[in-house]
Amino acid sequence: MKKITVLLLVIVLAVSAIGLTSCSGGSSAGEFRVGLECNYAPFNWTQTEESDLTVPIDGGGGYADGYDVQIAQKIADGLGKKLVIVKTEWDGLIPAVNSGKIDAVIAGMSPTAERKESVDFSDVYYVSELVIVVRKDGAFASAASLSDFAGAKITAQLNTFHYTVIDQIQGVEIQTAMDTFPAMIVALQSGKIDGYISELPSAISAAASNPDLTYVKFAEGSGFETSPDDVAVSVAVKKGYADLSKINEILAGISADDRIAMMSDAVARQPVNE
Amino acid sequence: MPDTFFGWVGFLLDKYGIMFLQGAATTMLIAVVGTLIGFMIGLVIGIVRTVPLDENSSLIKKIVLKIVRAILIAYIEFFRGTPMIVQAMVIYYGAMQYLSWDMSPTFAAIFIISINTGAYLAEVVRGGIISVDKGQTEAAHSIGMTHWQTMTSVVLPQAIRNIMPALGNEFVINIKDSSVLNVISVTELFFISKSAAGTYMKYFEVFAITCAIYFVLTFAVTRILLAFEKKMDGPSNYDMYSLEETEGIGHV
Repeated sequence: MKKITVLLLVIVLAVSAIGLTSCSGGSSAGEFRVGLECNYAPFNWTQTEESDLTVPIDGGGGYADGYDVQIAQKIADGLGKKLVIVKTEWDGLIPAVNSGKIDAVIAGMSPTAERKESVDFSDVYYVSELVIVVRKDGAFASAASLSDFAGAKITAQLNTFHYTVIDQIQGVEIQTAMDTFPAMIVALQSGKIDGYISELPSAISAAASNPDLTYVKFAEGSGFETSPDDVAVSVAVKKGYADLSKINEILAGISADDRIAMMSDAVARQPVNE
Repeated sequence: MPDTFFGWVGFLLDKYGIMFLQGAATTMLIAVVGTLIGFMIGLVIGIVRTVPLDENSSLIKKIVLKIVRAILIAYIEFFRGTPMIVQAMVIYYGAMQYLSWDMSPTFAAIFIISINTGAYLAEVVRGGIISVDKGQTEAAHSIGMTHWQTMTSVVLPQAIRNIMPALGNEFVINIKDSSVLNVISVTELFFISKSAAGTYMKYFEVFAITCAIYFVLTFAVTRILLAFEKKMDGPSNYDMYSLEETEGIGHV
């Protein structure tokens, strides 16, 4: 029994030593740590194959790519730092940037008024519009305006402004918010919901990778009423972040045409298009 | 792209096979180390809580012991009374923000599982110590052993044998509960599964694979622990009256 105890203790100490040495946490000054979900194509996603445009996910788990990753790369290059992608849950992004675990959030996050109370935002790096993703064979595939969605079961991602605009549909049956886009796609395909709110690029991605889905784009004036801040996406940083003006300079150097081109490249590149 | 369920399973195993294995390895690492360290914490707490206090003890010893016991009870109640997922968020982000202590996710995972397990196992160990016949302690004291000697040479070996099933239980629970640590970006099995499911939008297929992997891990561990228990029992010629066979008819 004594020998076993000693052996166990040795094993514990050895393994703890290995474990403890892995607490190498601590961002060095030359790193630009960016938090993303890596689960919101075409803004950011995870893939297993490396390519010229991918960035390894910190801590293992594949490679990240997408529009947000490319923007992050441009910013990191402009700041002269190494880009490190930290995959984080959506709800953990703002706590992570405020606690200093990451330097910036570049995750398709909109600079809403509520978020501005906790973090600072850069200038906009993409402007989008809201659409609703639906099943091709569903009752709402040929809808054209908000009123056509009366009686539909609609949801959106938790803790996003997408969820707040659902009330604009008269007679909608609003469902509980879901925590990720893949979860909503699965719910839509199985019939649990009739549609979910999405930004246009993400809806294009979803329809490309799931042939049974399509999206409803609204004509000028018959869509959702939103403020410009709500349909744009910006980089979120801790309040008082020193390099915010530099980030804005770098973003200003990316023209509107560049942005559109980068986005369509990202849509074409995402994994499910193989 | 595959069409059938098994087609998708094969495709996902092909693409993500290595990452599933890495995730499983991380899960086992944090579960094993976390449970072992938690067990050590539980042992120490169990011993401290059963230190005998009688009229002959000095006042200082009584006061110190009472304070230490109060602190330990607070620790146990807090870490048993809050979900591990909440503890993970509080410790991981709180440490960085207020203590400027940047932990790596894996270290944070081991830390959180250890103190959570320690709280549960402290009570399990205390139960094990109480279940050892009082005659053992009395006999040890009567031949002049100190409390520490009694504990380490007489009581604890028997107590640990008694609580082996509960320890195994806690270990298996930790293997599964390590999945909640995905919220602090630990790249364990559940985190990898969410990545794969998110990339290909295939929840059922991915999580069926994950389910199978968790089952294999926990089943293997249960069987290994059962074999270890049998070995700990030794040859049955020397069974003490207080030990019963774990399988079959218990005999006196």
